[in-house]
Amino acid sequence: MLRVAIKGILARKLRLAFTALAVVIGVAFMTGTLVLTDTINRTFDDLFATVYKGTDAVVRATGQFDAPQGMGAQRGRVPAWLLAKVERVPGAAEAEGDVLGYARIVARDGRPLGNPAYGAPTLGGSWSTVARLNPFTLVAGRPPQGLHEMVIDRKSARDGHLQTGDVTTVLTEAPPQKMRITGIVRFGSTDSPGGATVALFTLPVAQRLVAQPGMFDTISVVADKGVPQDVLASHIAKVLPAGYEAATGAQVVKETQSDVRKAMSFFTTFMVAFAVIALVVGGFIIFNTFSMTVAQRAREHALGASNRQVLGSVLLEAAAVGLVASAVGLGLGVGVAIGLKGLLAALGLAVPAGGVAFLPRAAAVSLLAGVGITVVPACSPARKASKVPPVAAMRDIVTGSSGYGSKERVAVGTVITCAGTSALLTGLFSGVPDKLAVVGPGALLVFFGVSVLGRSVSLPLSRFIGWPLPRLRGTTGQLARQNATRNPKRTAASASALMVGTGLVAFITIFASSTKASIDTTIDKSFTGDYIVASGAGLMGGLGPSLAGRLNRLPEVEVATGTRAGLVKVQGSVRRVLGLDAPAAFRLLDLRPLAGRPADLGANSIAVLEDVAEQDHLRLGSQVHVVFKDTGPRALRVAMIYGESQPAGDYVLGMAAYRANFAAGYDNEIFVKKSPAVSNTRALDAVNEVAAGYPGAKVLDRASYKAEQAKPVDQVLSLVYTLLGLTIVIALLGIANTLALSIFERTREIGVMRAVGMTRGQLRSSVRWESVMIALQGTVLGLAVGTFFGWALVRASAKQGIEQFSLPVADLAVIVALAALAGMVAAVLPGRRAAKLDVLKAVVTD
Amino acid sequence: MALATPQSLTTSVLAAQTVEAVKVYGKGQAEACALNGISIGFAKGQFSAIMGPSGSGKSTLLHCLAGLDRLTSGKAYIGGTDLSNLDDRQLTLLRRDSIGFVFQAFNLVPTLTAKENILLPLLLASRSGDPAWIDHIVSTVGLAHRLSHRPDELSGGQQQRVAVARALASRPEVIFADEPTGNLDSRSGTQLLSFLRTAVDQLGQTIIMVTHDPVAASHADRAIFLNDGQVVDEIAQPTPRLVLDRMNDFGK
Repeated sequence: MLRVAIKGILARKLRLAFTALAVVIGVAFMTGTLVLTDTINRTFDDLFATVYKGTDAVVRATGQFDAPQGMGAQRGRVPAWLLAKVERVPGAAEAEGDVLGYARIVARDGRPLGNPAYGAPTLGGSWSTVARLNPFTLVAGRPPQGLHEMVIDRKSARDGHLQTGDVTTVLTEAPPQKMRITGIVRFGSTDSPGGATVALFTLPVAQRLVAQPGMFDTISVVADKGVPQDVLASHIAKVLPAGYEAATGAQVVKETQSDVRKAMSFFTTFMVAFAVIALVVGGFIIFNTFSMTVAQRAREHALGASNRQVLGSVLLEAAAVGLVASAVGLGLGVGVAIGLKGLLAALGLAVPAGGVAFLPRAAAVSLLAGVGITVVPACSPARKASKVPPVAAMRDIVTGSSGYGSKERVAVGTVITCAGTSALLTGLFSGVPDKLAVVGPGALLVFFGVSVLGRSVSLPLSRFIGWPLPRLRGTTGQLARQNATRNPKRTAASASALMVGTGLVAFITIFASSTKASIDTTIDKSFTGDYIVASGAGLMGGLGPSLAGRLNRLPEVEVATGTRAGLVKVQGSVRRVLGLDAPAAFRLLDLRPLAGRPADLGANSIAVLEDVAEQDHLRLGSQVHVVFKDTGPRALRVAMIYGESQPAGDYVLGMAAYRANFAAGYDNEIFVKKSPAVSNTRALDAVNEVAAGYPGAKVLDRASYKAEQAKPVDQVLSLVYTLLGLTIVIALLGIANTLALSIFERTREIGVMRAVGMTRGQLRSSVRWESVMIALQGTVLGLAVGTFFGWALVRASAKQGIEQFSLPVADLAVIVALAALAGMVAAVLPGRRAAKLDVLKAVVTD
Repeated sequence: MALATPQSLTTSVLAAQTVEAVKVYGKGQAEACALNGISIGFAKGQFSAIMGPSGSGKSTLLHCLAGLDRLTSGKAYIGGTDLSNLDDRQLTLLRRDSIGFVFQAFNLVPTLTAKENILLPLLLASRSGDPAWIDHIVSTVGLAHRLSHRPDELSGGQQQRVAVARALASRPEVIFADEPTGNLDSRSGTQLLSFLRTAVDQLGQTIIMVTHDPVAASHADRAIFLNDGQVVDEIAQPTPRLVLDRMNDFGK
């Protein structure tokens, strides 16, 4: 008896360590995310507070509308003549106009730096000659003076292997410019503002290249000694014409800080979601472990413990495990935060150097989450343990529970699953304002519901999954199959943890595959040209318009036309609109015009997607209210209605209307159709030759354009895979834990089998296949849930251009194979333990 | 019958034997000698009972002979095979192919049917065995109608009969039985012992049984008495009376 007790404690040590590890990982991830958020916020707060310290007031155009994702208020420019007025305002010591726009520095190797479409922006601006107003400080060289001089940020210098004295190309709205680097600058304490690349020119050069001559983006003002910021701002406001405003320096700092927070909040939400998933998976494991150990404990202390004592001791153990694991997780979380900072830097978003901000809030949230995720799942097993008579608990261990679970279980599981499903579908398909807040919990509920139901389908599912095992692996296979089916409750619970991970992997795989398939279809359907010249830019910047013009003049090219993008507020919501050269573009893009003619798209008109027109009751000639950042509110007339949502989106502007309302004039992409008389190779060579003069311009044919469009999907996919891999590791810990406990319980029969001739190899093999069966059960359920999620999201994203549901059978097969492999890995330690079992002791122990 | 000395017997007629078998448990002060130089042989086709008070070393002798435990010094043989030369895998295969086991309890694998339990050593060896032989065993132990049942659906006596059938299934060199009747009522016990007897008389098997029950021992061809790790006596054709008298001598 003593020996059994000691063995029990040893087994429990390992089990507690495994269980705790599941919590540790989740808490570490949660802490890491929170600490990183705090660190980012604090360092950026400090950074902007420092660099704008000398700015007392800022004159700018009134914001036209607020853009999402931290892009801040969208506003036009300030006429340069205002500077003289502002300078004369009482209390203003010095004032200076400045501009900031799009510019891309070409590295030594000829490739443009930065990834403006998906990373930090690439900026060009004016070098401030007023020291107090200049956020940049020279670390080498001198300020730009001539027409062909610039200073660049230290990060770009490092990444691009550039130094003072080098001449390199800068891409702007104007044709590519050769510029000499006269100096290297830092932004406050950092090498670059948030990882952006920065090229700074003299004010007139900056105006010409990245803005407009005669215009500033803002005017910054230094106050006379003793004049408070708000007094200065109110003095300035009095001299400003309508449409312009004066903000205090403090206000600008605050706005910038808040914009950075908003820009980062997407990343934070994303990471917190994964931390929650990791914790939930940990919760499944806690539930399963406590269910098993509570039964064992009932056997060990078959007599003499009151119900209340059992309940109390189990919850106490859970709380202790939770507390210790959370404390360890907290400590590791700081490391995770540093790792995540590296991840951000790899994505091109540099967080300024500086210490880690470990705030009490992060500690409190993580501790609470860690203890909660341990104690709450332990409640139900603890309560059950205090009710089940010990004798029943003993029987349960020897023969296992069988059958399909109670009717109540099926009912509860069905209700939870249905509730989750309806929340999910409501979130996806109805106009709920915060979709994630409805869809997320809905998805969680579906996982819970299916895990409850999993116990009822576990038996037939296991039999089905294990069907080939006896044929493949003989007696060991048969034993594995029987062991996996002998306690469906336990198998189902262990599988549930893995189900969450594989379900999400399947979901994201299906969604990505559908997205890529839809991209392909869209391109095939709507692009009727031959080549695309892509800029790699996002909303800001792109290809200088001279490129499209030069391509158009090539004899090998029948037509080349650029498309432009811009942010507007239309019918009350912020949208990206496409600007295109109406008659020419329609020879290359088939947007399926339904009413009106492309030629009608003039300076005061707009084209609307059929669905939007229907929804907003728009017809040809109806008025649409559009707010532009540069020109303010305008009423445009519907001149065309089209049916194809990709790549046009909901609204399209003709080039005349685009030019009239946007100050910037970059082409985002240039579509090219070759002349029919010319061979493909000749036309491509000609296009390539011209494009070579524009670093960053990528000439793509139809196939490589598809591949290029799919690239960001794959990037997101690999990031998500990495993060979900974590939850799968946690789930594997759970499976290993279950196996270890099962093996401990089966000591005697393992002894018998070893005595009558089962080799260690055979024993390990049977444990291995049992593990594979559990893993596959979780995977099959996960695939089912994931396919449903994927289908739902694809259907809900039809308007975003994801119109095709594609089931990537090969990818899903790989997931199944990997899950089986993972099951084998999880079985290694328990299998080794089982094989090391002392046969004699196992057989003769009473 | 005189004590058989291993040197005088060739291995060909011995199913199992030990030579100067010593087994010491623990170290230093806690050292305990379970086998103190035992040399003994077990002839083929013989049913032997090993008897002795608790701590006499009878179970240890059985475990060491059966390849479940290792001797500290000396040799143990199954047929002509020296167990001390075998690694874990070879020992396991020896147990599978050449040895049958009947333990006191927990003999069967709960997830397997009676039939599967009987065939377990053969299945583990990926052999089908001799169907006629298996049928014969099954009918001999009277289990033909219970073959598809799982152990928890069988009585204690039936479970032990399944264990005996399993031990016989691969026609092992020798069958070891460790208190096989210890957990059975007297009727089931007697039935089981008569099956063991039948296995020796009609099927030509060799059985070595550890027991402390004089009635059980009386079913054997010889009873060997151990005390303090040494063979102290032997009775041929034991009767319950003879055995009980001999046992009582230990108490003195």
